[in-house]
This record gives sequence, structure tokens and C-alpha cells, in this order.
Amino acid sequence: MIIDTQLASLFTAASLIIIGIFAVGFLDNLIKKVIGLAFIGDGVNLFLVTLGYKPGGIVYIYLPSMTVEWFAQNASYPLPFALVLTSIVIGASTLAVMLGIIIVLYKKHGTISASKVLGDNGEE
Amino acid sequence: MNPLIPIMVILPIACALLLNLLHKKDKTIKILAILVALTIPIIPLIASYGTYFFGGYAPLAENSAIAQNLPAFITSSALNVFHPAITYNFDSAQKVMVFILGLIAFLAIFTSLNETKKPSGVYAFLMFMGTAAVSAILLTDDIFNLYVFFEIAAITQVGIIVASKVKNNYETALKYMILGSVAAPLLLLGIALLLGLTGSVNITDIIYSLKNGVVDPQNPVLLMACGLIVFGWLYGSGLPPFHTIKSAVYSKALPHGAALLQAFSVFTFVALGIIILRIFSFLPFAQIVIIVISLLAMILGITMALMQNDFKRIIGYLAVGELGYIGIGLGLGTALGITAGLFQAINEAIITAFLFIGFGTVLYKTSISDTRKLGGLMIENPKVALLVLLAGLAMAGVPPLNAFQSKLQLIQASISAGLPELGIIMILISIVTFMTFMKAFYTIFMRPKPVELEINDKNIPKATIISMLVLLAVCIILGLFPQIATDLLQVLANSLVI
Repeated sequence: MIIDTQLASLFTAASLIIIGIFAVGFLDNLIKKVIGLAFIGDGVNLFLVTLGYKPGGIVYIYLPSMTVEWFAQNASYPLPFALVLTSIVIGASTLAVMLGIIIVLYKKHGTISASKVLGDNGEE
Repeated sequence: MNPLIPIMVILPIACALLLNLLHKKDKTIKILAILVALTIPIIPLIASYGTYFFGGYAPLAENSAIAQNLPAFITSSALNVFHPAITYNFDSAQKVMVFILGLIAFLAIFTSLNETKKPSGVYAFLMFMGTAAVSAILLTDDIFNLYVFFEIAAITQVGIIVASKVKNNYETALKYMILGSVAAPLLLLGIALLLGLTGSVNITDIIYSLKNGVVDPQNPVLLMACGLIVFGWLYGSGLPPFHTIKSAVYSKALPHGAALLQAFSVFTFVALGIIILRIFSFLPFAQIVIIVISLLAMILGITMALMQNDFKRIIGYLAVGELGYIGIGLGLGTALGITAGLFQAINEAIITAFLFIGFGTVLYKTSISDTRKLGGLMIENPKVALLVLLAGLAMAGVPPLNAFQSKLQLIQASISAGLPELGIIMILISIVTFMTFMKAFYTIFMRPKPVELEINDKNIPKATIISMLVLLAVCIILGLFPQIATDLLQVLANSLVI
């Protein structure tokens, strides 16, 4: 192993968040912005999963053959995984709503350029 | 465990889902929605104080039946007091806030159902879902659970403006969602950092870990977590730099929708503000940050309100500005300050809802929200004009209405905390608020009616007038007897003082 799995995951998470923020801030295409937002969400989810990672750890299912001490020392921490599942569902629904709104806006404006769709409101 | 505590969240969600199933059965929807909406504010009044554990059990320290079968290395560690379930706390402060939220939700739903002939659709669904989400935000002691409901509240807010069919609503909805999709994951990242440090997402457990040496309070990761959670707080409640988009959100909603949306913002602001105070109060600058943000909100909100011509934008910005008062109360950190801040939160939620519903009558009669095109509406309906005037006076803090009491307490708290400058700024901002409101009121109601203005013959629904009268009654009651609310809020305030 060239680099520690947990460290590599943390770097990937940080890269995803930074790329996502860049995409949201600097890309004009609304779909690309949404992809950027998905990157930010995925980066945070990966960070959460990484928190629960334990090198050489086992799945957190307690079997009768295990002793409590051995299980406590070797099982990975389950809470982050449970949280990530919820977070993925929330992220998916938010993305769906955003893409739905973009479809409506595309039909209205005939473009998915953020500067044209969101920039010409005239009052904001 | 008190079963009524989860009902406060489950009932509106269940009703929302049922309303969708009853699609196109308009009469049934109306009756069901009004009955459930009426029940929402009653539940917190009859529920007794306590704790509820979702999907788990009480901490081992209180649960000897489970603890006795576990090895000593678990029961002698911090795990003994940690909460293994999603915990909901219901205390006197939650009672007041969930009641006021429920009351505003009821009046908003009641008004909207009476102004439309076909209530079938997603609008009522979204209002119930949002109310459930914000009630959960107020009740939960679990910061991840708070994040989940924070996201649900954000999506319902977007839904309410999309469903309102106001011009350019989709553009505003998308902008709000894009900002939210950056802010919410960053809030989650802050929560993840806290989880990484303490191993728990329960706020009481996090505080226990910090106070009992399980985690070093000087750890720089905590600072980052604090920054990220504060960022989420700014977004959720529409504080600067999100004040522009938040007021745009209010202006794209229908008046009763906006009345409810601002209540969501106020209570999200309070709930997250309290959590920031509880977890990060040991940081020397936490209170200063809250005060600076609040001052910015007040000054930017009110100055932006002065420059607007659309009355929905004016109230939107005034609502953002008023949030600053609450923040200053929380930021002062004294029992008097926090009590006054929480009291101001309740008052602001009521008064802004009152204003939105009141000015909504103008929209109902003319379909115009641009103050430059309006005028002479006092002759059309002097009673409504009087009610709107009273709402504006309440917001500016004129006695004997409720905001007078809370603003007075805030000024007293700032003086006793050794920061009289804040009191002076608050008085000045109150004067400008009054001026902004009177300018809007004069142009809409008092100046001569423009020739081209068309006023329709539709009578203002009785439900709208009843809603306004109820809100006025609450304003007067809280103005004359502020101790009804402050006595209950004081318990929470005392627990927050370090």
C-alpha cells in the first residue's frame, strides 16, 4: 500500500469539496453547477465514511462467538455509516428538485447559462 | 417518556402525506387540514415536560437493566452517560416556541385555505412539512437530526415559493437551492468534525465531552467546526450575506406562505443560535461573533428595507433586520439578555406574520405589490388599514404592544451587560424601522389613489381578518403580560449562562 487508505480518502474528500466549490462559483452552465454541488455533498459524505473507518476492522455485527472486549476493539464505528445513508438520500432529493427547477427554467429561457437565467431578474 | 413529544413532529408529517393521498377531494382536504392545523398549537400546551428517545434507550447511567450486563470498561467510560438514541427535549422554552410556531402555521394554513377555492395540491402539504421540520429543529438534542430537518425545511421553503406562481419564483428558488446546497454540506462537515472529535452527535454528549476532558477544548478542529456550523446558521436564518436571497424568497411567496417562511427562519435562527451558544460558549469570541453578525443583520436589513419599493421586499428586509435584535440578546450571554432575545424571537415571528397577512390583503384586492403604483386603500377598507397600522406599530416597539416589552428588556440587558452602545443602536434601528414602515403605509393606504389603479370587488375573506385579529390579540396579551412568556423562557436562559 503506497498511501494509507484513510489518509487517501481524506485527500479525495477534500479535493471533491474544493472542485465542487470551484464548479459552483466559476462555471456558468447550471447543470455543471449542480454537478459541482453533488461533488461537495459527496466529498462531505466520503469524509463521514472515512471517520468510521478502522484499519483491519470488522463489520459492526455482534456474533455469539465473539467476546465483548474483542468486538469493542475490532468493530468499526457504525454511526458515521448510518448518518451517510441519510445524507445521501437528502442529497439525492435536493439534486432532483434542483434539476426539476432547471428543466422549467430551460423551457422558459431556452438556455441553461446561469448568467442569462439567474442574472436578468432585474430586481435581485 | 412522553408520547406527545414526537406527536408534535409526526402529526404534521402524517397530515401532509394524507393530504397528498386525498388529491382533488377539496372539501375533505379543507376540513382535515384545518382540524390538524388547529391541533398543532394545542399539543405543546397539554404535553408535559420531558425527554423522548427515538430508536434507542436512555443513557446507561439511567438504565440499570441494560448497564448491568455490560463490562466495566464500558460503564466506567463516558459511554455511561452518552445518549444512544435520537433525543428530543421538551421544556418550558420549547413549549412557548412550538406553540407560537403552531399558531402561526395554523393561521397561515387557515388563511390560505380560505383564499383559494381548490386547496388540493402541494401547497398545504409543504406548509405542514415545513412546520414539522422546524418543530423538530426546536425539539431535537441531536445535531445530525437537526441537519436532516434543516434540509427538509430548506426544501419545503423552496417548494412553497415554487408553488406560489409569483413571477420569477423559479429563478429565486434555484438561487436559494444552490446557496443551500453549498451551505448545508458545510454544516454537515462541521457536524462530522464534532462527531470525529467526540464520537457523538448528541449535543448534551458533545458538551459533556468538552467539559469533562474527553476532548481538548483547545483543539483547533473545534474552531473549524464552529465556523462551519455558524455558516449553516447564517444560511438557514437569512443573516448576511444571505439576507438578499432570504428577502427575495419571502417576496416570491404568497403572503400567508411568507408569514410561515419567516417563522421558519426565526425559529431556525433561535434553535441553531442556542446550539452554538451551548457548544461553543467556551470560545472567547463566540459571543462577539454573534453580536457582530446581528449588528450587520440589523443595519443591512433596515437600510435595504428603506430602499425597496415592493412591500413584500420591505417586510422581508425588516424581518431580517429584526433577527439582529434576537442575536444581540443571545450574544450578550446574560440571563436577562438571552430571555429578552428569545422573547423578541417570539414577538418577531408573530408581528412579521401579522404584517405579511395584513399587507397580503392589498395584494388580494389589487394584485400589485409595488408601492409606487398603490394608494388610497384606506378609504376602501379602513378596518384592515387600522390592523396593518397596529402591526407596524408593534414591530417598531410602540407600547403597549409586545415588541415594546422585548426591546425594552434587550436595551436594559445591554446596559446591565456593560454595552450601552448596543442599546443606542437598537433604539436608532427601531426609529428607522418605524420610518420605513410608515413610508410604506402612507404610500399604500393614505395618499390619494392613483388614477390607473384598479381595485377589484372581491371582499377580503373573513379568515384573513380573523387571523389578523388573533395575532393582534397575542401582541396585546404579550405586551401587557410579558411574564407569561418570559417566565417560561427564563429557564432555558438560566441554563445557557456560563
